[in-house]
Amino acid sequence: MTDVGEEPETESTGGYLRRLLGEQAVHIAVILAFALYPVVYAVLVRTPLGAEFDVFLPRVHTMVAVLYIGLFAMSFDFISGYTGYLSFGHSLFYGTGAYLVVLTATGKVPMLGSDTPFMALLLVAGILAVAVAVLVGLVSFRLTGVYFAMITLGFAEVAHVFIRNWDHVSSNPRDGATIAGGDGFALGVPGVDTLQVEIGRIVGTNLGAVFGLGLGIEVDETWVSFYAIGAVVVVCYFLMQRIVHSPFGRVMIAIRENEERARAVGYDVYRFKLAAFAISGFFAAVAGGLFAGYSRSVAPSNTFDLFHTAEALLAAIIGGFGTLAGPLYGYLFTASVEGVLSTEHHGIARYLRRGLSDAMLSSGAGGVTVADAIGVLVDGRADLYLGIVFILFVLYVPHGILGTLRDRLGGTVAKRLSDRLRSTFGGRHR
Amino acid sequence: MTDPVVLSAVDVLVDLFQPGTLARIVLDALSKSALYVVIASGLSLIFGLMGVLNFAHGSLTMLGAYLGGAVMVALVSSGTSGPVRFLLFFLAIAAAFGLLTLLGGAVEVALIRPIYDREPLFQILLTFGVVLVLDELARIAVELYGLQPQSEWQAAMGTAPGFLSSWYGVAGVSTRGLYLFEVVVGALVVVAIWAFLTRTRYGLYIRAGSEDPEMTRALGIDVRKAFTVVFGVGAGLAGLAGVVLMWDPRFGASVPLGVETLLVAFVVVIIGGLGSFRGTVAAAGVVGLTDALMTWLFQNHVAFPGLPEMAMFLVLVAVLVVRPQGLFGVAEVGGH
Repeated sequence: MTDVGEEPETESTGGYLRRLLGEQAVHIAVILAFALYPVVYAVLVRTPLGAEFDVFLPRVHTMVAVLYIGLFAMSFDFISGYTGYLSFGHSLFYGTGAYLVVLTATGKVPMLGSDTPFMALLLVAGILAVAVAVLVGLVSFRLTGVYFAMITLGFAEVAHVFIRNWDHVSSNPRDGATIAGGDGFALGVPGVDTLQVEIGRIVGTNLGAVFGLGLGIEVDETWVSFYAIGAVVVVCYFLMQRIVHSPFGRVMIAIRENEERARAVGYDVYRFKLAAFAISGFFAAVAGGLFAGYSRSVAPSNTFDLFHTAEALLAAIIGGFGTLAGPLYGYLFTASVEGVLSTEHHGIARYLRRGLSDAMLSSGAGGVTVADAIGVLVDGRADLYLGIVFILFVLYVPHGILGTLRDRLGGTVAKRLSDRLRSTFGGRHR
Repeated sequence: MTDPVVLSAVDVLVDLFQPGTLARIVLDALSKSALYVVIASGLSLIFGLMGVLNFAHGSLTMLGAYLGGAVMVALVSSGTSGPVRFLLFFLAIAAAFGLLTLLGGAVEVALIRPIYDREPLFQILLTFGVVLVLDELARIAVELYGLQPQSEWQAAMGTAPGFLSSWYGVAGVSTRGLYLFEVVVGALVVVAIWAFLTRTRYGLYIRAGSEDPEMTRALGIDVRKAFTVVFGVGAGLAGLAGVVLMWDPRFGASVPLGVETLLVAFVVVIIGGLGSFRGTVAAAGVVGLTDALMTWLFQNHVAFPGLPEMAMFLVLVAVLVVRPQGLFGVAEVGGH
């Protein structure tokens, strides 16, 4: 499966770097856009239209969730979108990662002290999830289609019910567990203290004095978390992207397109599926770990729940099933909609109630006032509209945002892009 | 030193084979199995003929519970006598079944029909979108009427006739009238569906369609129409289940009822096997018995409240491992 070398045999380091920059232009642009977002947001909400921007733009706190749930959605898509095996119990791995972090920090995991470095914890979470994925996969990959989806759901529900009732977690396991006090978890380069930052949102340290930026913008823990978690997500993305574009990834796609043929060609598809499932579980657990490290608390409803898998599913369908980055954009979309329709102070319902005059709010037809309509149709109703959007996507945009974009850009661009990727990740440079 | 685990296992067995205990467990299992067969039968019909795993099934049950509750709350006053309440109950069942059959048919025609040529995955995904919309609509409607969507609708529960909440002695064990009533309703539903499958034209289509869809089509049967009818009837049965659950304090009308019953229905249908109503009935029995046994075990010996629910999913996993096609399923049907 090695590529025929198309590029010149000798190449200077500078030339290689330049070529790499050119090939990664889209990635660099996206990463830059994400990196600049908090600053742009902070500037925009200080403009005269600040209130409007506050309503319609996701807050930095929401963007942190976009990163870790986006990573979870990507890992879901890695197995479901690329091999065609719908992993309906994917929350199992996310929950494993999240609970490992919280239980370790509260000193409830044997052999792991509560002072275990966070980076090491993420790795342990990932490896644990790999073990779980192999065990679940050994059994589940004997089935296909709906039955595979159901058996993975079955495993995840066993874990869900268990964690909801396991009194080792906390005195009230249904509400999950919280890490009380202590320092934030440190993310960074292992072994280099100056390259470590603490993540979390409850820790109220204000770093504004250090990074004042001269714009009166306060940089708080949320910003730090955004960049630190973002860095981890970027690394994970590139790892997965590399796998997807490797010969291994080609086999995954072959399994999706025609498993019989892949087997006939001589691939041990069972092992490939198992390995892909394990890799996917690894990254899902890292995502769960990041979530737990950031929020410092976990609950069954936001980790092991079937609806948490559904969150990833929704994101993957909207962003593009079978495109690695798509689910991240998909979740960015759902999180934005949820943010706008939120019942909290930055939601549009509060904004309308603040902004509209009392006469306007109490006007209406047939005994229904505008205020009633806002309360019924807008306030916290994201699920309603997301459901409709989701149905429309399934019906009319089955390839999702990114998939459709790729189709639209036409064969040439897509092909050139993939050619470039193949020459980068193919045989020569490791 | 004796092993405490072995010792307690012996204790449990001795305890289990007390005459009263077994009878109580069997009665509990019967009432649970009856409920489970009612919950799962609509899903089983749709899945059997169309291969569509209808994720909206639970939400339709939830709608049925609220619809049935609305009928009862509107028509029952405190002076209404028990037999009249029973008659109204069957009126509520008819109303919920009719309305949800229409809704199911409409969903099939408008949303699912356009994507039959796609992978089965997309039909699952689509019904999942329907869940989000229906649940949120239910939440809106319920809040408009000043009810709490998270907790059961007590007013609807209160419309049950008095003798359902009193206790009766059966086979030396006392049991609630409600549980006996559920067994009767479950038996009626099973008989009705069995008659539908064996005595009506569409029942014939379903049996033919789950046996060999292509041959059925080749024989000139309008499969599209059959799909619409079956999806409608399946949705109607989901609604019927909701009405039955509305009186049961273990369930009751609430928005989370949707997910709760959906998972049960999945477990029962998958264990029973695709396209086999007999399988669904048998699986409901297995799951009901497991649930009853584990509930007893939890109440008496094992301090783990999630035991019955967890056991249910473990049974699902175990059956899929040992017999992937389910208890009564045909091996090659629905493998993909």
